[in-house]
Amino acid sequence: MRVVAPELAPYQDEPKQLPSGALGKNALLRLRFEARRNRSILAFSERRAPLLVQKALYCDEGMPDLPVVFIITNSGGILQGDRYTMEFAAGPDACGHITSQAATKIHEMDANYAGQMQDITLEEGAYLEYLPETVIPFRHSRFHTHTRIRIASTATLLYSEILMGGRQFYGDGELFQFDLFSSTVAAERLDGTKLFIEKFLIEPGRSEPSRLGVMGDFTVFGNVILLTPQEHADAIHGRVAAAWNCEERWAAGVSRLPNNAGLIYKVVGKESNTVRTKVREFWSLVRPQVTGFAVPQEFPWR
Amino acid sequence: MLTIPELMRVLQFGDSVLPVGSFTFSNGLESAVEHGVVHDLTSLRQFVRVAVEQVATSDGIAVLVAFRAARAGDDCRIDEVDHAVFNRKLNEEIRTMTVRMGRKLAEMADRVLGPSAASAWLCRIKEGKTPGCYPIGQALIFASLGLSEQDAFAVHQYGLASMMLAASLRLMKLHYLDAQAILFEINSDAEAAYERVVASSLEDMAAFAPVMDILASAHVQAKVRMFMN
Repeated sequence: MRVVAPELAPYQDEPKQLPSGALGKNALLRLRFEARRNRSILAFSERRAPLLVQKALYCDEGMPDLPVVFIITNSGGILQGDRYTMEFAAGPDACGHITSQAATKIHEMDANYAGQMQDITLEEGAYLEYLPETVIPFRHSRFHTHTRIRIASTATLLYSEILMGGRQFYGDGELFQFDLFSSTVAAERLDGTKLFIEKFLIEPGRSEPSRLGVMGDFTVFGNVILLTPQEHADAIHGRVAAAWNCEERWAAGVSRLPNNAGLIYKVVGKESNTVRTKVREFWSLVRPQVTGFAVPQEFPWR
Repeated sequence: MLTIPELMRVLQFGDSVLPVGSFTFSNGLESAVEHGVVHDLTSLRQFVRVAVEQVATSDGIAVLVAFRAARAGDDCRIDEVDHAVFNRKLNEEIRTMTVRMGRKLAEMADRVLGPSAASAWLCRIKEGKTPGCYPIGQALIFASLGLSEQDAFAVHQYGLASMMLAASLRLMKLHYLDAQAILFEINSDAEAAYERVVASSLEDMAAFAPVMDILASAHVQAKVRMFMN
């Protein structure tokens, strides 16, 4: 079997349950948004369990013509040997919003690992928000995810990833007890011109994440990538306050990505709610700037 | 074992006062001190150690890959490594630091060594064909001087630690001998760091230090600053 990345080399043993990548573990989700005369629609979807989506909802009161898609899983989380593939596309001038139904739980593992490939393509003038709920890696979980973004220079993608240290209040508290969390995001233009690459490799057994400069006292990490034309990036950059807030116990900062690709906003906190709120505040700057529409109030039950 | 001329070349090009402007950078330490993340010897030691460890698995890999490309005379590969480093510098001040120091180093090599892989690289930087990141320059010079990739890696790791500790003397109340003791201690990690990345490829370049990233971006907006990052 091909080893996808060297950090996965120790985790090549097969699970005693279903073999890695077997039916029921090889989820596939392909979604494509397209612009129609009045509004954008989810023009195409293909799904294979355990991931599924139902039809797009127009439930966003701030942007009523925005198709909103909830990713649902019928497996209760990510398990050892899972291999997920997700492909999201937005055609010219189409818009869309993708989120998940609940936090993604990466379950405890004693064999193999879970892998995920994401492919996101945005054509000219497209606008996509991909803001899934938090990711919670359980003790001894191993997760490898690779995201490839291909984006036109006139399109905008808002992509967030919120990683928790673990099941913070389970048992004696489970923080950074997973074996591996490896996440790569690589972005390029449609013609293949590279924009930026970020790879996180977290192996708490090798290097303690609670060290100074890594996570320190913080336990939740939000990473938000905004790929957008420079005029929008400039307008938003000036309005995001980099801050080190001791009282509310969070810290955040924004940077300009290389090659005028857009911005990256990073926030750390001690509670997932604090980080989610900061991500939401950033999102609330982005949407009006790029589309002219507002981000609605958060649903009370989310 | 290094001959005397080899050792002297390592000393010259690994010198912390090499005129590439490293004294104007703190690699995030200024923000860390401002926000109280670094406030004493213990926190300084840990912060610098983490920074040096992170750079080993990112730019450190680039040093090795660029060194091997220079030995093979493969300019395309050198520029590919250069772009790979640049595209992974997600903070604008850190990006500025690496290309500014890289260019200074290339200019110095051009003058001191004459025609070499580094002077050819300088031409490509001037033409805008390649960004000119510092670790690439170090790799090219060491390859041209007939030194080993271990030498290049060591000097690269040493450079970051000594830059941050030199900055610490200007940012904190600290005894200068304590800073030297920390430098000595952190240098002993370098061999294990080399072993860890010796077989790595460009795709393996990785890091994880969100707090450092946030401190670096806080610095961009800071009102009072002594260092450029």
